[in-house]
Amino acid sequence: MMTTLEPIPAGKYQPGDFKSDLKPIWCPGCGDFGVLTAITRALAAIGRPPHEIAFVSGIGCSSRIPGYTNAYGFNTVHGRALPIAQGIKLANPGLLVLVASGDGDGFSIGGGHVAHVVRRNIALTYIVMDNQIYGLTKGQLSPTSRRGRKTVTSNFGSLEDPVNPLLYVMGYGASFVAQGSPADMGGLARIIEEGIRFPGFAFINIQSPCMTYGEEEQQIKAQKAMMQSLEALGHDPANRALATERAGEYGTRLYTGILYRNPKPPPTYGQGVAERHVALRKQAVPRHEILNRFMPEN
Amino acid sequence: MSEDLIIGIAGAGGDGVVSAGESLITAAALEGYHGIMTKSFGSQIRGGEASCRLRLATRPVLNPNGPLDVAVALNWEDFQRFGWELPVESATIVVYESDTGVAPDRLPLEGVTPAVVFSVPISEMARKHAGTDKAKNIVVIGLLAGWFGIGRESMLAGIRKKFAGKGAAVAEGNARAFQAGLEFAGAHPIKEDRKLAAPEAGGHSKLLTDGNDMCAAAAIFAGCTFFAGYPITPSTEIMQFLDREIWKYGGTVLQAEDEIAGIGAVVGASFAGKKAMTATSGPGMSLKTEMLGLASIAELPLVCVNVQRGGPSTGMPTKAEQSDLFQAAFSAHGDCLRPVLAPTSVGDMFSVTVEAFNLAEYYQTPVIVLSDQEISQRKETVEPIDTSVFRLIERRRPTETELAKYARFKLTESGISPISHPGMAGGNYLAAGIEHNELGRPTASGEMHARMNEKRFRKFDPLKNRRDLFVVEGDPEAPIGLVSWGSVAGVAREALQLAQAEGLHAKLLVPKLLYPVAEPVYQDFFASVRRGLFIEQSFQGQLYRLVRMYVDVPAQVHLLARSGSNPIQPVEVLERLREMVLALQGNHNHRQPDPVAD
Repeated sequence: MMTTLEPIPAGKYQPGDFKSDLKPIWCPGCGDFGVLTAITRALAAIGRPPHEIAFVSGIGCSSRIPGYTNAYGFNTVHGRALPIAQGIKLANPGLLVLVASGDGDGFSIGGGHVAHVVRRNIALTYIVMDNQIYGLTKGQLSPTSRRGRKTVTSNFGSLEDPVNPLLYVMGYGASFVAQGSPADMGGLARIIEEGIRFPGFAFINIQSPCMTYGEEEQQIKAQKAMMQSLEALGHDPANRALATERAGEYGTRLYTGILYRNPKPPPTYGQGVAERHVALRKQAVPRHEILNRFMPEN
Repeated sequence: MSEDLIIGIAGAGGDGVVSAGESLITAAALEGYHGIMTKSFGSQIRGGEASCRLRLATRPVLNPNGPLDVAVALNWEDFQRFGWELPVESATIVVYESDTGVAPDRLPLEGVTPAVVFSVPISEMARKHAGTDKAKNIVVIGLLAGWFGIGRESMLAGIRKKFAGKGAAVAEGNARAFQAGLEFAGAHPIKEDRKLAAPEAGGHSKLLTDGNDMCAAAAIFAGCTFFAGYPITPSTEIMQFLDREIWKYGGTVLQAEDEIAGIGAVVGASFAGKKAMTATSGPGMSLKTEMLGLASIAELPLVCVNVQRGGPSTGMPTKAEQSDLFQAAFSAHGDCLRPVLAPTSVGDMFSVTVEAFNLAEYYQTPVIVLSDQEISQRKETVEPIDTSVFRLIERRRPTETELAKYARFKLTESGISPISHPGMAGGNYLAAGIEHNELGRPTASGEMHARMNEKRFRKFDPLKNRRDLFVVEGDPEAPIGLVSWGSVAGVAREALQLAQAEGLHAKLLVPKLLYPVAEPVYQDFFASVRRGLFIEQSFQGQLYRLVRMYVDVPAQVHLLARSGSNPIQPVEVLERLREMVLALQGNHNHRQPDPVAD
C-alpha cells in the first residue's frame, strides 16, 4: 500500500503496460490517439508502476485519455483538473501526477487555474491537447480558434483573437514549456518524458488535430510540412527571452520541442511542505489533546 | 444576587471594546462561570464602531441575546449605531464616558429612562494612571470587575502579563488604571441584588473558544490532514486555525485561487486517500456545488463546512441566518443525497464536526456542516470534552482478496464499496464524474445508471435511524412540541426553561442531522404532541418546509420564522407557547385531529 520511490530498473515496463483495455471513443484519425501512444511510451521510459501514477483530466475529447491509460485515473469536471491534481500531489507527494486537458477545458473554463499552479510550482505534468475547436460538443469556437474562424457558434467568423497558451504560461513564469505534435511521435514521447522528469511544474502544449471539425492546415499532413524542430534550429531552452519570442509566434509557426527549461528552477511547493513538516513536527500535541488550546488564560 | 448578567459595551474601533469583553469572559471562564460573548463591528475594515455583548451566568448560557443589565458607552454615537443589538431598558445600569458631555438625565436613549446611571471620567482616569487614552478599556474592565465581582485577581495578573513586553512602567500603569476602575466602583456601589452570584458549587474552569476554532480543532482530532479553501466571512478563521496547526501533523493547508479550486483540491486529496475538509460561506457554497456532485458520484469522502450568513448573494456577511438549508440539501444537479449536519453551539461543534468526518468516511460521501455566523464567531465557555468517548471511522479499504478482482463501485448489499487510492497496488481504477459501471468504466446504460443511483441512495438508509443525532428535551409527556436547529436551538432551549418555570408543559426536538430527513424521528415526535412549532431564523422556515417534503406534518404544527439579523427572542417563543396552551385548553372538548396522517 505504500508508495515506493525507489528507482525502477529501465526496461521493466513496456508502453502496452500503460494502456487500459477500454476502447477509445475518439474519431478515427484523431490526434489524441498519437498523444496516448506518446504518453504510454514516456511512462514506460520513466518506469514507475501504474499504481503510483495519478492521471487527472477535465471534460472534452482529450479528457477521456485517463480512461485509456492504466493508472489511477480521475476524469473530473470541466476545467477543474488542475486544482484536483494539485490536491492529489499535495496529499501524496510520492505519486507521479499527470494532467490532461484541451484548449477549451484548459484555457477557457479552466483558464483561471493555470497561473496559480505555475506560481506554486507544484510538480505535475500538464498536457494540453490543443485542436482549436470544441470537438466533443461538435464544432464550436474554442479559445485558441483563430480570428475569423467560422464555426456553428461563429457563423459569420470569430471576432476574437485567440489565447496564446505558450505565451500565457511563459508569462506566468513557468519553468518548463514545450510543444509537440503527434506528427512527430518520437519527439512527442521524448518531451513528455522530459516534462515528467523535470523537477517542478511542466507544461506541454500538443497540436493534436481534430479530424472532424479541424481546418485543413491543422491536420497531420499540414503540420508535417510546417513543423520546425527547435533542436534542429539550435534553440537554447535556457534562453528565456528567445523562448518568449518564439512562444509569441504561436499560430504563425509550429515549433516542436522544449521551448524553455529554467536552468535554475524555483523550489517546488512540495519541497517547502516537506521542510515545514520536519521543522514543525515536534510541536504537535497528541491529537486528543488539541482542545487544551482552549484552556482560558488571562 | 443575580444568576445571569448581560453586559453590552460599545465604542470606536481602537477603543479595545472587544478586548475588554475577552478579558472579562476569560476571567469568568477561569472562575467557572458559563458565558457567551458576541462582537459586532461597523462595515469598515479598521476603525469605525465596535461592540461586544457578554452574557455570564451561573448556569449554562444558551443564547447570547436579551436586554442589557449593564450598558457601557465609550461614546454615544457609536453606541446608538448598534440599535437592537444593545437594547437598553429602564432596569439597565448605564455607564458612560463623562467626556461626552451628556448629562445623566439627558441620555440619547429613545423612550427609556434608566434608573441607574454612572457618568465616569474613563479617559481621564486612563490618562492619569496609565498615561494614555489607550487604557480606557482597562478602566472599563476595572469598573465591571469592581461592581460585579468577576475575576479581579486573574484580570490583574492578565494585565501585567499582557503588557510585560512593553516594559514595567506600561504594565504598572495599566494595573493602576484597572485598580482605579475597581476603586470607582467601590466608591459608587450598586445594589447587592444586581451583583452576579458565585459560580455553582464545584464550578470549574471551562474551555473558551468560538465555533470556527472548535470546528478546526475537531478536524485535527478527527485526523484531517488536508484543508483547502478561500477566505470568506465568516468562515475564514477555520483556515487560519488549521494553518497554525495542521502542518505539525504532516498535513497541508492550501489557500486556493478560488472557492472551486479549494474544494477541488479537497476532492483530489480525498481521492489520494486523505481525510480532507473545506470551509466557506454563502457565495462560496454556491460556487462549490458542482464539485459536491463530483464527490457524490465518485463516492469520495470530504467535509464541507458552510458558515451561514444572510443571503442571497453577498447578503449580510456578518449576520447569522439559517437560509442555506435548502441549498445544502439540494446542492448540485442530479438525483443525489448528501448528509447535512448542524451544531447548536460552540461546544456542539466538536462532536458534529467529528461526526461529519465519520459519516464522510463511512458512507464515502461529501458531508455538509451547516454552522452559522453566530456559532462561528461567538466566544463561549465549553465544559471540558472527554475525547476518549469518540470513535473515529476510516473508509473501508479493499482486502487483498477484493483487490484480486477489484471493482471500485461494486454493488454490495450495504451499497458501500471498498475504496482504494493511488499508491495501492492492484487498486487502479478510473474515478469519474461520468456515470460508470462497477469497475468504474464509463457507461451510458440506463439500467446501470438506475442501479448506481439506487446504490448511492441505499447506502444512506441506516442514517435515518440515527436517533443519537437528535435531542429531545423537556417534558416527554408534553402535548406541545418545539423543533429548532442550529444556533436558534439555544433560543428554543431558553424558552423551554422559561415555560417550565411557568409550569407549562412543552418539549423540544433538536435535530443535528438535517438531511436526509429522518422520517421516523419526526413521525414519532409529532405523533406524541397535539400542537407544534418550528422556530427558525429564515424567511421561509426551511427546515419546516423540508420536513414536510418527507413527513405528513399535522396541521397543528406551525412555524415561527424570521429573516436573519433580527434574532428571535426566547420571550417571543414563550408567548407562542402560552398561546398554544390556551388553544389546547379551549379545544379540549373538540375531537383531536389525528396527529400524524400517515
